[in-house]
Amino acid sequence: MKMLSKKDRREAGQGYLFLLPALLVLGVFVIAPILYAVFLSFHKVELIGGATYEFRGLDNFMKVTFDDRAIIALKNTAIYVAIVVPTQTFLALVLAASLNAGLKGQKFFRIVYFLPTLTSSAVLTLIFMWMYNQNGLINYVLKFLNLPTYNWIGDPDVALIAIMIMNIWATAPFFMVIYLAALQDIPDSHYEAAELDGAGPIQKFWHITVPNLRPVTSFVVVMGLIGTFQLFDQSYIFSGGSGGPNNSTLTVVLLIYQYAFKTLGTMGYATAIAFMLAIIILVATLLQRKFSKEESLY
Amino acid sequence: MRRTKWLSTLSISSLLLATILSGCGNEESQSEKTEIVLSGWGGNPTEKKLLDEVLSDFEKEHPHIDVKLNTISDQYMDVLKTRLIGGTAADVFYLDAFEAPALIETGAVEPLNKYVTQDFEIADFEKPMLDAFKKGEELYGLPKDYSTLALFYNKKMFKEAGITDPPQTWEEMELAAKKLTDQEKQVYGLGMLPQIERMYYMAESRGGQVITDGRATFADDKVVDAIQPVVDMHVKDKTAATPSEVGAGQSAGEMFGRGNAAMVMEGNWNIPFLEDTFPELDYGTAELPTINGKKGTMSFTVGYAMNAESEHKKESWELIDYLTGKEGMKKWTSKGFALPTRKSVAAELGFDQDKLRGPLVSGAEYATVWQDGPTLPIVMNNFNNQFLSAYLGDRPLKEALKDAEKQANREIKVTE
Repeated sequence: MKMLSKKDRREAGQGYLFLLPALLVLGVFVIAPILYAVFLSFHKVELIGGATYEFRGLDNFMKVTFDDRAIIALKNTAIYVAIVVPTQTFLALVLAASLNAGLKGQKFFRIVYFLPTLTSSAVLTLIFMWMYNQNGLINYVLKFLNLPTYNWIGDPDVALIAIMIMNIWATAPFFMVIYLAALQDIPDSHYEAAELDGAGPIQKFWHITVPNLRPVTSFVVVMGLIGTFQLFDQSYIFSGGSGGPNNSTLTVVLLIYQYAFKTLGTMGYATAIAFMLAIIILVATLLQRKFSKEESLY
Repeated sequence: MRRTKWLSTLSISSLLLATILSGCGNEESQSEKTEIVLSGWGGNPTEKKLLDEVLSDFEKEHPHIDVKLNTISDQYMDVLKTRLIGGTAADVFYLDAFEAPALIETGAVEPLNKYVTQDFEIADFEKPMLDAFKKGEELYGLPKDYSTLALFYNKKMFKEAGITDPPQTWEEMELAAKKLTDQEKQVYGLGMLPQIERMYYMAESRGGQVITDGRATFADDKVVDAIQPVVDMHVKDKTAATPSEVGAGQSAGEMFGRGNAAMVMEGNWNIPFLEDTFPELDYGTAELPTINGKKGTMSFTVGYAMNAESEHKKESWELIDYLTGKEGMKKWTSKGFALPTRKSVAAELGFDQDKLRGPLVSGAEYATVWQDGPTLPIVMNNFNNQFLSAYLGDRPLKEALKDAEKQANREIKVTE
């Protein structure tokens, strides 16, 4: 091993000293909480009244197997992810393509479509709850069109669907903007060549636009996966924090919140679920990457 | 040269660090007065004004204390627990008896036995309400007010149906409900919230236990048989309904006020509500109908508790002492928003003689307090979830409660 000279050591010391503020901030606000969460997940924790910790080993992780609510939460979240991610990705792509086709007033529509994304999700949820009310706008329109109306907020069968619709409407435009940016990078020559070969607009969309956007789609899907797995605020506001009616809007993160802050003494269990969720998201992301290999297009 | 470079590096880093950390410091105000923070949930504006008056009276009598009222209007318990963990909770806070046992177990609530003096006359309190805040012999909170449930009946509808007196027994009530129901007009004999908090006394009226040693045991036949009549009234007789079935949301009071129900079992809160919202309504109150000849009702109570980490315990006690003392309680309950937990105050204000509040006050003696140990919140959730399906006639009561009991006990196991 090479000994560091005095000068080298001093220089390294100076370097670390300059790094110190950043290291401290990262350590205190990122790394320490993660380590603390690992610690918590192996203990039964009671934070109120002078924190007490009792080592429980893997107990917290095993509890999930007989916790009905955890299984319901996982199921709800899985259904939510499976429906919302493909729908919002496809919708974003279609919106972007149509707003890139050179129509009149497309700038105006780009702004209008993007507006929902600018609204805070809490405000959005409250507005939607008014519209979803039994005597609200949506039921009014449905009635006007002679379609069946629903108790959107109170009926366990439709409550989650109501949240899905709201979220797709709110997040698709955000991904649309990403697609719009990517669309500018597709060379016009590809379309010209396709036109010469006699391709119509739909063929051009499927055979040029979609494959060229593949790396961006991959990004959009991963971001969508992470975002949807972490669904919390909408279902919290929708159900007043309970995950009701009849656990139909209970998501994994909402369950974590309930165990951490509502029930006393289950902070350790809550962190254990949080870790399992992190692993699920990791696996889902890896799987997604495996299935959509970023192949070279040119 | 070298040293100065070192020094400058050090000083820059520490400067950066100082800027970061300076955000964390807090300034303490220097004043002669001791500031006490009181946390509670907001009531209606009149109640809030009343509380402000009581607090300013207290400040006049105790010039060295400054009380700051902090209202937590939503998710009260979540906010309170988070603040208790962070060490920023109020010195004195409202505590619902229903939530009390779990919080007491954590040690966050100050035991009060050592503060209570002879002058405080603790024997003056209604015993069931006081016991709700006890663990063993130790007292952890003082009930500020309470309400029991009474039978509210619509006098006009009773007259039209030819019923002269409010029903005394459950059987009489069932008969009356049949006469009063007119389904076509969406009028039901009894408006009922299908929740365990409204019928806990019934559930245990045949000797069964809803909770035994912290475990749910409500699928016991004794409990099922005891509450079967509630389900039968809805499913078989069709003489009872929930407020949401007639579009009154979750409020039985509203259902009653709008004339969709001839009878409801509600508490003291319903009196000011009806006065404000349905001033024309001609109604009376009576004690809840007896079950198997036994009187019974529920009692809901909220108390003042002290933060175990409070820095001003002496002053905090002075505040609790005043608020739950004769003078403070008299003022607080004088408008009749809640009933006084001190017998002497109740007698002085004459609520036991009051036409509408009399039956509520009489109930205090034999009421079942809505509190049954730390596992009650979990039991309540699971019971109510499944009971609703039985109440709507989707499945037999026994089967629904069996499922609910199993789920509740699993959930209790998870929290252990």
